[in-house]
Amino acid sequence: MLNMKQVTKVYRTDTVETHALNSIDIQVSAGEFAAIMGPSGCGKTTFLNVAGLLDTFEAGTYHLDGQDVSRLSDSQMSRIRNQKIGFIFQSFNLIPDLDVYDNIDVPLRYRRMSSKDRRASILQALHTVGLDARKKHLPSQLSGGQQQRVAVARALVGEPKLILADEPTGNLDSQMAAEIMELLSRINQEGCTIVMVTHDQSIADRAKRRVNLLDGKVVENPTETPAPIRSVAGFAGVKSQR
Amino acid sequence: MVLYNLRMALKSLKRNPVLSGLMVGGIALGIGVSTVFVTAFHIFSMNPAPEKSESLFYVKIDNWDPNRPWNDDDPSSTPSQITYRDMVGIMESDIPTFHGGSFKTSVFIHPDPEIGRPYKALSRMCFADFFQLFDPPFEYGSGWDRNSDSGPEAVVVLDHETNQKLFGGENSLGRMVRVEDREFNVVGVLKQWRPFPKYYDPHNGAFEKPENIYMPFEHFRPLEIRSAGNTSNWKDFDWSDFDQYLASEAIWIQMWVQLDSPDQKGAYMSFLNSYTDSQRELGRMQRPNNNKLLNVMEWLDDREVVPEEATSLMIISLLFLVVCALNLIGILLGKFLTRAPEVSVRRALGASRLSVFVQHIIECETIGIFGGFLGILVAVLGLRAVNSLFAGETFEFALDTHMLLQAILLSLVAGLIAGLYPAWRICSIPPATYLKEQ
Repeated sequence: MLNMKQVTKVYRTDTVETHALNSIDIQVSAGEFAAIMGPSGCGKTTFLNVAGLLDTFEAGTYHLDGQDVSRLSDSQMSRIRNQKIGFIFQSFNLIPDLDVYDNIDVPLRYRRMSSKDRRASILQALHTVGLDARKKHLPSQLSGGQQQRVAVARALVGEPKLILADEPTGNLDSQMAAEIMELLSRINQEGCTIVMVTHDQSIADRAKRRVNLLDGKVVENPTETPAPIRSVAGFAGVKSQR
Repeated sequence: MVLYNLRMALKSLKRNPVLSGLMVGGIALGIGVSTVFVTAFHIFSMNPAPEKSESLFYVKIDNWDPNRPWNDDDPSSTPSQITYRDMVGIMESDIPTFHGGSFKTSVFIHPDPEIGRPYKALSRMCFADFFQLFDPPFEYGSGWDRNSDSGPEAVVVLDHETNQKLFGGENSLGRMVRVEDREFNVVGVLKQWRPFPKYYDPHNGAFEKPENIYMPFEHFRPLEIRSAGNTSNWKDFDWSDFDQYLASEAIWIQMWVQLDSPDQKGAYMSFLNSYTDSQRELGRMQRPNNNKLLNVMEWLDDREVVPEEATSLMIISLLFLVVCALNLIGILLGKFLTRAPEVSVRRALGASRLSVFVQHIIECETIGIFGGFLGILVAVLGLRAVNSLFAGETFEFALDTHMLLQAILLSLVAGLIAGLYPAWRICSIPPATYLKEQ
């Protein structure tokens, strides 16, 4: 699904040159749930930006879903982001003026789908995250956990092949974090590839595989690490759509 | 997607009503001021005879000094009026559908002593065809016929005001009016008539009112009436001798013809050239043939009828609109850049740079449109104020459909000018920078 070879990303200022990614090789197969770990400044977010086609890189090759995406135009990258990738951010990144329904609608708006099809997809995604009754709420009227579930629904609604999650539980308390991880695990079990950046060991344990980054390099790439999916008391309403 | 972007624009405007009000108000002020002055320019430069402007022609003949042109700065220029003898000469032609020279003068009208004392009024000495050429609307009766020109018969057409003054506005056909020392029979009374500009004779004030009475041209001879308008001359003669005045090279008559087809126009131009050739053989008109037939709009351009002030004020007002739009750039730039995190999210979710650019341009155009509609209200109030300066006139400055559409178009252009740079800046931001910062 995701195959990076010798990818290098360098940030330059007048005086300093920082190798955020230093010739890294990472492969993530379809259906995997990989956690990218490492200390602050190790290149986790840079990796996620490059993987999500939100940033370019200087050297190496990157294949996504079998397609070479190393050198694409802005509109080509936008189309791939829209159709193949779903993003989940630490701070939810919901648009404050839009209600839940319209927030989930955003990626579909760039697909020229009919109103009827968009509505069906949005309601399905809302049902998946258990927020059917909150579609007219503004983000400010929701708890942190609910906001992140909206963000998950927004990432899911376009039926992407890859979900990139950047510290998805970083702003949540432990119970809400568990709910979100449960949700991601279920989505993964349905076949969606998930790459999650985190520095939290307990969260990373939920992933099937860990990749450790340090100073822009992959330092350890253990294969299949079983991670039990724990049920969380009080969490309900998550149903699979796949 | 346009409707979606429009909805996003309205949400954005509602988010900060004060700022939005300032932006819309700025555009409205620019549109309002520019629309007032563009409307004034439009009215000053509009076609006063749209139905006939392509078939009415002003006749110009070059009888000027062989040693210097009519206009020293323009060797191809032709005198703006013609001599009496040339008018008589070219009126021999039967090619035009209608034709006739005319001039403005002033005469004494002697009302019934019970009504008032004698007073000076503006008169137009003209031929019967004048009323066919320019179609003034009649309240009573009509113009005189061609037979009355040759007598000339003692007939007169009054304008609405003079009929009010002399006869209380009654049907005065058949009543007698004393002009100078003679009695004239009223054969027609005009309705209110205000050609704008006074295209048949824009000399001495293109936007002045028409004359008060209209009399057969040839009455000027027994009454020894001279033009009260412009008279120009290049060859000395004894001005006190009326016969010398008529035979002179002095120009004081405006000559119009109606030519309804290109063939008719071509034939008449040939006739004019033959006429000037024949005059050259007689020792006159030693300059090369430079005869002209100008249609109504060409004639008004030739006379530079539109006041310079109207043109200057229109340009200044449009520049003012541009300044209003440029002022908006800073406000929009600040507003858009504060939205960088939201735009970054949209970019992550699949919006291309172009989508983001279009979304923000639509927001700018929404501001422009709101500003345009408010600006039209400002323009209506402004034009009302301008009209109050011309109270009592029969014309008024008003917005027509053309001007309304132009105001909306200007507001769209202003929105575009204001929005291009901010929209380009916001669509160019690197999304990765702002996603982590939220």
